[in-house]
Amino acid sequence: MANPVIMPRQGQSVESCIISNWNKKEGDEIKKGDILFSYETDKAAFECEAESEGILLKRFYAEGDEVPVLNIVAVIGIAGEPVDSFGGEPIGEKKEEIGEKKEQNGEEARSIIEIPAYEVALTPTSAGEIKISPRARKKAQEFGINIENIGGTGPEGRIIEQDILRAAELRSPSTPLAKGIAGEAGKFIPDMGTGVGNRVTSYDLLSQTPVAGEETEIRKLSNMRKIIAAKMHESLQNSAQLTHHTSADARKLLELRRKAKETYEKSGGENITINDLVCYAVIRALQKHPMANCHFLGDSLRIFKKVHLGLAVDTERGLMVPVVRNADNLSIRDLAAQLKSVANSCKKGNVNPELLASEAATFSVSNLGAYGVELFTPVINLPQVAILGVNTIINRPTDLGNGVFGFVPFIGLSLTYDHRALDGAPASAFLREIRLEIENLDVTI
Amino acid sequence: MPKIQNIDPAKVRKPSQITFGKIPVNQYNKNIEQEKELFTTDDFIRIYRDMVIIREFEVMLNKIKTTNEYFGIKYNHPGPAHLSIGQEASAVGMAYNLNISDYIFGSHRSHGEILAKGLSAIHQLDENGLMNIMKNFFGGSTLKVVENGHQGNIKELGVKFLLYGTLAEIFARENGFNKGLGGSMHAFFTPFGVYPNNAIVGGSGDISVGAALYKKVNRKSGIIVCNIGDASMGCGPVWEGISFASMDQFRTLWQGEFKGGLPILFNFMNNQYGMGGQTCGETMGYDILARIGAGVNPEMMHAERVDGYNPLAVIDAFKRKKQILEDRKGPALLDTLTYRISGHSPSDSSSYRSKEEIEAWEKADCIVSYGNHLVNFGIATRDQLDAIVAGTIAEMKQTLTLTIDEKTSPLLNLVKDPEAISDMMFSNQSVDRMEEGICEVLTPMEENPRVKQIKTKERFYLGKDGKAVSKLKQYQLRDGIFEAIIDRFYKDPTLVAYGEENRDWGGAFAVYKGLTEALPYNRLFNSPISEGAIVGTAVGYGMCGGRALVEIMYCDFLGRCGDEVFNQLPKWQSMSGNVIKMPVVVRVSVGSKYGAQHSQDWSALVAHIPGLKVVFPATPYDAKGLMNSALQGTDPVIFFESQRIYDIGEMFHEGGVPEGYYEIPIGEPDVKREGNDLTILTIGSTLYTAIKAADLLKEKYNLSAEIIDARSLSPFNYEPVIASVKKTGKILLTSDASTRGSFLKEMAQTITELAFDYLDAPPVVVGSRNWIVPAYEMENSFFPQPDWLLDAIHERIIPLKGHTVTSNITPNEQIRRNKYGV
Repeated sequence: MANPVIMPRQGQSVESCIISNWNKKEGDEIKKGDILFSYETDKAAFECEAESEGILLKRFYAEGDEVPVLNIVAVIGIAGEPVDSFGGEPIGEKKEEIGEKKEQNGEEARSIIEIPAYEVALTPTSAGEIKISPRARKKAQEFGINIENIGGTGPEGRIIEQDILRAAELRSPSTPLAKGIAGEAGKFIPDMGTGVGNRVTSYDLLSQTPVAGEETEIRKLSNMRKIIAAKMHESLQNSAQLTHHTSADARKLLELRRKAKETYEKSGGENITINDLVCYAVIRALQKHPMANCHFLGDSLRIFKKVHLGLAVDTERGLMVPVVRNADNLSIRDLAAQLKSVANSCKKGNVNPELLASEAATFSVSNLGAYGVELFTPVINLPQVAILGVNTIINRPTDLGNGVFGFVPFIGLSLTYDHRALDGAPASAFLREIRLEIENLDVTI
Repeated sequence: MPKIQNIDPAKVRKPSQITFGKIPVNQYNKNIEQEKELFTTDDFIRIYRDMVIIREFEVMLNKIKTTNEYFGIKYNHPGPAHLSIGQEASAVGMAYNLNISDYIFGSHRSHGEILAKGLSAIHQLDENGLMNIMKNFFGGSTLKVVENGHQGNIKELGVKFLLYGTLAEIFARENGFNKGLGGSMHAFFTPFGVYPNNAIVGGSGDISVGAALYKKVNRKSGIIVCNIGDASMGCGPVWEGISFASMDQFRTLWQGEFKGGLPILFNFMNNQYGMGGQTCGETMGYDILARIGAGVNPEMMHAERVDGYNPLAVIDAFKRKKQILEDRKGPALLDTLTYRISGHSPSDSSSYRSKEEIEAWEKADCIVSYGNHLVNFGIATRDQLDAIVAGTIAEMKQTLTLTIDEKTSPLLNLVKDPEAISDMMFSNQSVDRMEEGICEVLTPMEENPRVKQIKTKERFYLGKDGKAVSKLKQYQLRDGIFEAIIDRFYKDPTLVAYGEENRDWGGAFAVYKGLTEALPYNRLFNSPISEGAIVGTAVGYGMCGGRALVEIMYCDFLGRCGDEVFNQLPKWQSMSGNVIKMPVVVRVSVGSKYGAQHSQDWSALVAHIPGLKVVFPATPYDAKGLMNSALQGTDPVIFFESQRIYDIGEMFHEGGVPEGYYEIPIGEPDVKREGNDLTILTIGSTLYTAIKAADLLKEKYNLSAEIIDARSLSPFNYEPVIASVKKTGKILLTSDASTRGSFLKEMAQTITELAFDYLDAPPVVVGSRNWIVPAYEMENSFFPQPDWLLDAIHERIIPLKGHTVTSNITPNEQIRRNKYGV
């Protein structure tokens, strides 16, 4: 019977070794004690002696190859014996798993039950809702498998042992050291690692938490946080975002704001803010640049005739972007009123969920001016193609004409756009349009 | 009915009449002058002293209970004290003529009897004998306390020992006669012939009959006195005990030296009240209790009423009754009329009786009137009597002081030795025979027809040709039980077996076929249909030192011996402080095909009770090995058998059932089939249902099931089961018991606790429905079927690809069934 030759493990911290020299060729006759090959770690060099006799049937690695420890390097047996069962894909890890099972249970590997097709639902659920047997949970910890990523095939979708075993099998193999670390520290082993053949190494695990120590707190994400996380991540992953910055002379803006404040204090009505004025200007710009007022649908664009303006609102529960529909129909006063109304209902938590869908808006504005932010790169709410970030107002020296320089208030504008939908030039033209609208706002307070 | 006694229709159909003889009522009419011929002055005075000791002992208890003080000595006793103040003449009269080899059994109100019998024994024993008893009891620890500073003779020391041992027992002290584990209502001291007193009214009614059986079968001298109250006449076990004791066969069928009535006297300490119910006049209808004897047998049980307020009358009556028993004409019945002046217990406000009544009986007080007689007839002076009272009070003060001293008389220390009681629950001994002697048998074992027949049988279910052997040629489960039993009959001369249809018929399920040919009546006999007495007498037989094997024909009849199985059999070893053993095996056959009252598996009921060992073998190999262990041990074992599989062959033990003797340890489950994917734990005959299910699992779903046969319910070693669950992660438990509260639920819960992290699904129990057992034709809807097991696995443990369920075991259905209690 053919015997595998395994890359020995020279110490707990060694994950792989490099074959420096083969002393035997395939087909050579091997006696017990013959030096098969020499190999080295980063610290020392070793020789591997044959532990069985026969013909060297197969070498799986060449000189210079880095071989994960405990992997099968070669096979010794009788001439003509098949080596397929050892081969191609190194099976060292699998072999070890079986060994471990034997140790724990004193039994052969059990049969894995075929999973009915209709039940192979990869349904990530939130951690609190996961149904999992104690045994599967224990196995998951042992193998470092994140149970949030796998579906259960037990009764009522419960994750049972076989699901963990299967997940462990499907995943890239990991080095014994990595497994040890995962077991001790209760870390998840990622599906793919940075080692040889995507092996998960100790580095992959140690990098999970660069700052070691116990002075941390694990806080579960709220559903809201999870949604925001998913949306933001999706946006950055799935589009080609970049940001242009400019600034607009804010003297008109501030004058209008001053008037509005006076009026409001004197006779009530709407307290029109700088943000309302900026939004008004943006709407006007969008009417002139419909290519920024659209949705990117992969193979097409949906261009809107109306402006449905999304406004980023900070609430206790997190960021929300409610929409004011048909904003282009509104006077400055009505716009101010509606923006305030949706923002308030977001804060109170009674906003109509339909108004929060990113598909409901055609363009969004995010204003961080109040926080003194001078420049930022807002993230687009897909499938919208652009978002305007509004920054704080800064007095800047400006040529007032006639060689006279003076300080003029400028408001910063950061336009993030999806390069898949818009090119740099039209985006810049649109941003310039916004600037002009702000500087030349034509409203009556 | 044995074939040698034919029932002749001409004879039994003939007209005639039953005539009753006369039953004496208070016929004693001697005066002291006449009694002087029988009693010396010392005897007369000793009778007085004994009554005074009993009285003062209970007066002391009464004061402690009601005022927490006796002559300035303070103590609080939270436990019971059922006093018999007023009944002293009855107790002393009862014990006066009894030898040490005569045993008394009692009730919850037996302090007086213990002391009376103890004082009588001390009087009869020579000093060496008495000293030996005291020295050897619990290594002399009880004696040491009273010996310290004792001045006086050994008999006086004996009295101190008796008072201290009894009081220490009542106050739950380790120096008590039963290590404080019996207490007031159960205290006893076998070296003086005082056997268990019983807190269950009438509890001694059948146990004492078993003691009489022990005396008779094992040729022991002495009689048994069953001291029970008048109200116990309303209890079934008392009637059953009386029926058992008066069986005709003792005189008609038992042979030679065993011929003749049982040496038992039912002595009703008739204080005329059962707690607060007036027996004559309210709760019973016998008018005079002694009348009962007339209905029992032609001898009318030699029944008689005696005036229990006159010690000399009681002595006289007991002397005569004892003679009757020694002449083998028992059983006898005495109605010892007395009166309890004290309440039933200290909380008794005597609302059920008038002040006038109590005062009238106080006027007739047995001690005062007897003392007056002694003075009037010049036997003692008033001063002498007063000195006895004063001396007794001093003795009592000393006893009380010693008993309540925490250093001298500590309680069993359960802090220092937390398992002290655990260690007394079972005696766990391995004993070939309970006593040396010749085993009385009718033929050599090898000549027994059944033994010969079994020799021709195939001891494995497959023949040498690998084919299944026919039922007739197969060594069956019933053969395994038989082999173990007949073996023991030839080893242990004390072994007796009885129950319904045990003789001639060969047991209702042919387990005993062939035993009748092997054994005389005094070792194997038919009992009346009295399950209470069947088990109760076995308890009495076992506690006296014999080994008994009794049978409850159907598990459903366990209810008929509820008290005997739940309160008596399991408890006496530990309640005695390990003084007595209980080598009793109760065979219980679980039925099938016979509907709702003949097919239930009630193993959970007995497994719940601490102090019983419970086994349920399902293969011939296990049945023989477990019966051998049960009969080798000294503990009570409930041995379940299933009528479904009496004829099953041995399918698991390689090489078949060994011919020789071997034991299977009680409490060890057995892996009947190895597997990797799922564990199935079975109790009883569902082993075979599980085998079928396992075959289906392998065939259809490629799952390998490991099958473990529990074999025992209690004790039970969970280790092999946990090891299996650690391997498979999944376990299903199944038995024929109705699911709700079945023992499997206990097991499932324990497994969950012990193997939680290894479980891949909750342990699932598949038992029978919570219904009456329907007719045989509908049993498949009631008892677990292989399909049900698969359904449960599919729905609760691991979905089986393509499996279609046939039973409804969804969570909603489970909730619904529980909601409706079905």
